[in-house]
Amino acid sequence: MTWIVWRQQRPVFITLVAGLVVAVAAILLLRAVMVADLTAGNLLDCVGKGLEACGPAANDFQTTWFDRLHLAEATVLAAPVLIGVFVGAPLFAREFEQGTHALAFTQSVSRTRWMATKFVVAALPALVVVLVYQLVVHSWLDAAGQLGPLSTGPFYFTTFEAQGVSPVAYTLFAYTLGMFAGAVFKRTLVAMTLTLGLFVAVRAVLTGVREHLITPTRVLSDDLDARTVERGPLVVESGFLDAKGAVVADPTPMMNCAGKGDAQGAVDFAACYRENGLAQRYSDVIPVDQVTTLHLLEASIFAGLAVLFVLGSVWAVRRQV
Amino acid sequence: MNASPVQAENVAKHFGRTRALDGCSFSLPEGSVTGLVGPNGAGKSTLLSLIAGLAKPTSGEITVHGTAVHGRMHPDVSLLTQKRPLYDQFTVREMMRAGAAMNDRWSSARADEVLDLLAGVDKDAKVRTLSAGARTQVAIAFALGRLPKVLLLDEPLSDLDPLARDETLRIVMTDVAERGTTVLLSSHLLTDLGDVCDHLLLLDEGRVQVAGDIDGILDEHRVVVGPAGLDLETDGVVVDSSHTSRQTTALVRGGGVPEGFQATHPDLEALVMGYLRASRTRKLVRAQ
Repeated sequence: MTWIVWRQQRPVFITLVAGLVVAVAAILLLRAVMVADLTAGNLLDCVGKGLEACGPAANDFQTTWFDRLHLAEATVLAAPVLIGVFVGAPLFAREFEQGTHALAFTQSVSRTRWMATKFVVAALPALVVVLVYQLVVHSWLDAAGQLGPLSTGPFYFTTFEAQGVSPVAYTLFAYTLGMFAGAVFKRTLVAMTLTLGLFVAVRAVLTGVREHLITPTRVLSDDLDARTVERGPLVVESGFLDAKGAVVADPTPMMNCAGKGDAQGAVDFAACYRENGLAQRYSDVIPVDQVTTLHLLEASIFAGLAVLFVLGSVWAVRRQV
Repeated sequence: MNASPVQAENVAKHFGRTRALDGCSFSLPEGSVTGLVGPNGAGKSTLLSLIAGLAKPTSGEITVHGTAVHGRMHPDVSLLTQKRPLYDQFTVREMMRAGAAMNDRWSSARADEVLDLLAGVDKDAKVRTLSAGARTQVAIAFALGRLPKVLLLDEPLSDLDPLARDETLRIVMTDVAERGTTVLLSSHLLTDLGDVCDHLLLLDEGRVQVAGDIDGILDEHRVVVGPAGLDLETDGVVVDSSHTSRQTTALVRGGGVPEGFQATHPDLEALVMGYLRASRTRKLVRAQ
């Protein structure tokens, strides 16, 4: 049975592998050119330090490379939905369209084994391809270090979604979604369209849910006139506390410092705020060291949805005539 | 217990409010070749897919060699469906390898034998490039590789030219002769059926109208012809009648020869045509 599915999926495998080879070659080439740029601009030390610590050469470097690196992250975000649309959706839909499901169902092999084999044999190469591509793109991002998109921290959405277990979790979700849509609607084109639409919708909704998955840590600062948190952690909420330590719901009136200027017109905002009753500044953040936990928590939601879609597909295929 | 190869007891299959099959009971004798006939939409394909276990009956039970079919292919049954589904991008050789992989019991020798019959099928050709006749031959080889004791054929002769039709039937009949296979085949081609079938199963609107040995059935029916205007008085059942300005013709089941009519026994084609015409008349009357 494995051989049959492998043979059926062969054109898909070839496309996947060819696509991967071309993409990896392109990324590695770009990475090599970029590293050469870093060396030429004497910026190799800056990679660990960030833009602020380096001269105008770093600015020039970012002008050239920052958007390209962002684009590479975006391609990692796009990979799962491509797998869902082109591997997941046709998996059962094409069989139903061509009537070949009836061929398989009238042999000794059980429907469950047929489904399981198709599911695994088609999914594994797709997941491996996504993972390899993700790692290659990541090695490029690493080479740019703090001069590239990684400088905005691991929670910045393109960085977060292109790293850790997330791409594989999204791929599994997209693939099973496509498979389920195909098993229910039995039309490849319908299944592909639905997969694309639903994937984008669900991902958009769940991106907003992400920050509520972990109870944030409250960071306090007595410095009222400054940012409490440097770039890196995920800031869920921030604001002011009053003298009793309670959150000030609407601090706007208390931030009115009109007419508090000294002779030169400069305002000591910190003193003004304190006078108005604001005692401390707070930020509720998810610290950088919890990024793996957040990856796993979000991935488990997508994995849970994938399990539901698998069960749905089993139900749809078993009732199929 | 020497159970019938295929037995249906009060089988019904409903799709929503449509009754594809209703109260179907029959049994096929061992080694018989049964023609499954009826107008379009009579439930022929539904019946075949129920026997193959592709679908579950709404009520009633189908047994194959005494074992109830429960939404799963019986190991002794092979089904060739109307669309002749095959993996189009496979070569013929790969298709046969797939057959071996999907079946507990598989004879590549038997499959090859069928592929080599007649003009022979090129085993390295892609399935999608085959002619309709060759494709049917591959599909039959695939079905016979399972070494079935019951072979279900849904319209095996449609879109074949007369020569391919004849050759396809020869492959099937050879299997019947050599291995004693029981065959149930649906077709609209009554002349071809007459040559190979010894039993008949006539379905209309999901019900069995006639079932049994063809010679017996033909014996039981009469085509009676009499002058126009003369009442047809018979203790048999008038299946179908037609009137012209000069004469009345009717297909009658059972009973004696009515007064004033000339009677002959119909051939298979005339018999089936009589039932098909009657079915259409009933539908027209109901539609009004």
